[in-house]
Amino acid sequence: MITIEHLAKQFSAPGPAKKGLGALAQLGRGGPPRIVHAVSDVSFDAPDGCITGLLGPNGAGKTTTLRMLAGLITPDAGRMSVDGIDVVSQPGPALARMGVLSDARGLYPRLTARENIVYYGRLQGMSADAANARAEQLSHMLEMDALLDRRTDGFSQGERMKTALARALVHDPSNIVLDEPTNGLDVLATRALRDSLRWLRSPQGGSKCIVFSTHIMQEVERLCDGVVVVSHGRTVACGTVGDLLAQAGETDFEEAFVRLAFSADERAHHEVAGPPA
Amino acid sequence: MNGTNGMNNLRTALIIYRKEIVDALRDRRTLLTVLISSVLMGPAVLVAISALVATFESRAELREVYVVGIEHAPSLKNFFERQTYTVKAAPADFEAQLRKAGLADPVVVIPKDFEAALLRGDAPIVEVVVDSANQRSQAGAGRIERLLNGFGRERAALTLALRGVSVDVLEPLQVEDRDLASTQTRATQITGMLPYFVMMAVLYGALNAALDTTAGERERGSLEPLLMNPLDRWVLVLGKWAAVASVGMLIAVLSSLSFLPGQWMLRSDTLAAMFQYGLREASLFLVVLLPFAAAVSAVLMAVAIRCRSFKEAQASATVVMLAASLLPLINVFSLGSESPWYLWVPALAQNVLMTHVLKGEPLSAMQIGVPLAVCIALTAAGVWFIARTLRSAAVR
Repeated sequence: MITIEHLAKQFSAPGPAKKGLGALAQLGRGGPPRIVHAVSDVSFDAPDGCITGLLGPNGAGKTTTLRMLAGLITPDAGRMSVDGIDVVSQPGPALARMGVLSDARGLYPRLTARENIVYYGRLQGMSADAANARAEQLSHMLEMDALLDRRTDGFSQGERMKTALARALVHDPSNIVLDEPTNGLDVLATRALRDSLRWLRSPQGGSKCIVFSTHIMQEVERLCDGVVVVSHGRTVACGTVGDLLAQAGETDFEEAFVRLAFSADERAHHEVAGPPA
Repeated sequence: MNGTNGMNNLRTALIIYRKEIVDALRDRRTLLTVLISSVLMGPAVLVAISALVATFESRAELREVYVVGIEHAPSLKNFFERQTYTVKAAPADFEAQLRKAGLADPVVVIPKDFEAALLRGDAPIVEVVVDSANQRSQAGAGRIERLLNGFGRERAALTLALRGVSVDVLEPLQVEDRDLASTQTRATQITGMLPYFVMMAVLYGALNAALDTTAGERERGSLEPLLMNPLDRWVLVLGKWAAVASVGMLIAVLSSLSFLPGQWMLRSDTLAAMFQYGLREASLFLVVLLPFAAAVSAVLMAVAIRCRSFKEAQASATVVMLAASLLPLINVFSLGSESPWYLWVPALAQNVLMTHVLKGEPLSAMQIGVPLAVCIALTAAGVWFIARTLRSAAVR
């Protein structure tokens, strides 16, 4: 179970650069710092045995939220807990209970898929034998047996994704966090991933708590038990797909999402600007 | 509780270390390039120098003298032959050949009226023609001049003897050379660049591994997921650093040992006698080089961790590489006058110490201790910086 309460994070980014000689004088210092509120108030509960979708437009703060959950960034405010363990004060035990497939999912090209997976298992404290056995089990589940002993150099997007997912799940975590997992996958690979996630949610699969972020409506409609709509760094709505449709007063989920995620002004602006010529 | 934690950390560091080593060793092409270009470079240069010295020696043994117009100087020809020299007529285009380095010997040019002038006591001018850009002809010039001076002295002695004057009048004082340098010290004039080659080998050996585990991880996008494992970042950094340092140390060992067989291939007997490089010298080299490899690894990693890509890291690392290659030159150019502060400058200190080793001089505790302390401090600073930067580097 993952609980996030009133999470906030701001970054200071270099301001707009001056042109001409002014830019030279600024070298190395950047402009006056500009404060970016990447996440200002995100809250949600992701229960066990459910798939919770984090839905939001690009730049809404989904990746920053998940990075904070994975202990990579320290939040300015708010609380996050995994199975009741506070992520900020006890990052080690919290990370041991999570399998995170982050936005960056680089593999080691000179190692085989198996070595990539086993390495993470060992880092999670598993014995070499246990990690190996688990790698084989996961490779079976993700249908990547043929890849297992090949070096990952030259893997396709889908093959990389499978390896990275197996790597994230190697220690059999009860909480699974995926950042836009279907990015760059074809239809068949996406389907296979959906099946895997459904199985992991089921009691046979371990009733995992699964959180995944996406900006694709169909994914959410097909897969998620609960949806959290994030926009401009805030949670703007949450509930089942049905709840959100009712809340927005729409029958189409995409329309409902647009109504919930964007203000009337933003929607009007987009309509006036129209599609680019 | 603390004890088991420590054990766990050590085990995790070993897992990271092993993975990084496997990863580095599988990068065959890079490793092979480093081995060929850096490790074999030193012995190759040594053999090349010895081949050059050997040609000087064999030239001297041949006892040949190239002359233009020997027909004008029968007395000189007679003298040459009595000195068991073979007189050879120089080719007509000897000047052009000397310039093009086609001719390896200096050429003696004798004027037409040589004998007549000699009889009149007019001191005829005999030219020894060399091209100072042609090193081989330059090396023989001294030998030929000594030979001609010998002829002059013989003539003078005969003339004096005819007038009943002792030959000793010609030499009112005796000059004798007394060279203080040991054979090994003399050899460092030639072998002085070897420490430089060994250090470059270590630098280039550590470079790729250092960049790959830092900037390379960032570029591949594998640093972020790596940090999502429940690890202490110190453990991660120490494991990575130990792996890079091991690669650097491996290169240090290989290149230090490579001079042992390199020595057997020396073609010049004189050089082989002067260049004494045995197991003692090799192990002293390692005493100097291993801490250096550790420090260089940490510094290169610290520079590279701030870079987003391997390419960017290579550009930044150039500054370190340049400093490490230029600092030893202070020692090379200052020609022996050595200041105490040299020992506090990394790269320079190592060069100084290895030069001492080649000269056969003992190293004092201070000479070993100061650079060692500097290397330890650099390593600690580098590792601290990487551990501090790692998390922000992963998400940027």
